[in-house]
Amino acid sequence: MKTILFNPFEKYTENKLFAFGVLITLAGSYLGYLFQGRFDGVVDLHFVPSTTLFEPLIDNLINIVALFLLLFILGKYINNKTRAIDILTPVLIARFPFYLLTFSNYQNYISGVSEKLIASLNLQNKPTELDIATSDMVITLLFALISILFLIWFVILLFNGFKVATNSRGIKNNLLFAGAIILAEILSKIIFIFLN
Amino acid sequence: MNPKLPVNCPSCENGLAVSQLTCGNCHTSVSGNYPLPLLLLLPEEEQNFILQFFLSSGSLKEMATQMGKSYPTVRNKLDDTIKKINQLKTQTK
Repeated sequence: MKTILFNPFEKYTENKLFAFGVLITLAGSYLGYLFQGRFDGVVDLHFVPSTTLFEPLIDNLINIVALFLLLFILGKYINNKTRAIDILTPVLIARFPFYLLTFSNYQNYISGVSEKLIASLNLQNKPTELDIATSDMVITLLFALISILFLIWFVILLFNGFKVATNSRGIKNNLLFAGAIILAEILSKIIFIFLN
Repeated sequence: MNPKLPVNCPSCENGLAVSQLTCGNCHTSVSGNYPLPLLLLLPEEEQNFILQFFLSSGSLKEMATQMGKSYPTVRNKLDDTIKKINQLKTQTK
């Protein structure tokens, strides 16, 4: 179970992993459409008033291409034997936690709570006088906590997949890996700015 | 149980050498000082891995299927073993 959740790349063939990755990308993009989620960055998920069917899919494709390019270049630098398919599969599968997070906006739940919180933030009030219901605060904090855990899950999946693909070791390579994710996030954001 | 071949001295951890060989049939013994072959210096798990690699005609894909592991996992294991053999070669020179 631990292998499936955190490091399926060690065990399963690239064909199975790729098929699963494509399937969850399509399903996740559809979930984004159902729950008004936009994946507007490699490590982003935002809920908006409405989305078209293809917007979340295009978001995901941009994120996948940006992350794949950066990690593949780094993978080739670390180990010349790195194959593109072994980098692509973790990039596809690591996004699974983001797709699961879209369920939190069932019937606009999280975006509704967020809007209520923003509306209660009257700039004239002092921070101690904010009119925020305890239940809303608890839900927001819980969502934030789950989001952080899922973000960690994303990084673990990506890191394990990258490690298997490249046989990467050492602090230097780990730092380069972190840098590649940050660069991919910047690259994806630049693409999104150009598209909008 | 197959006894494990010791390759390092339990006292000073230096590499061991073969000093006596005996015929299992007539019990003739030969004494001398023969260094252990390079492959025997590897842990048993890695020796088995190399044997399996040889038996599968060097096909990592076939090995991955046999071992129930992914292709890059098996390739990494092979790369690590090659690295280790190169280190041992340098050490034993």
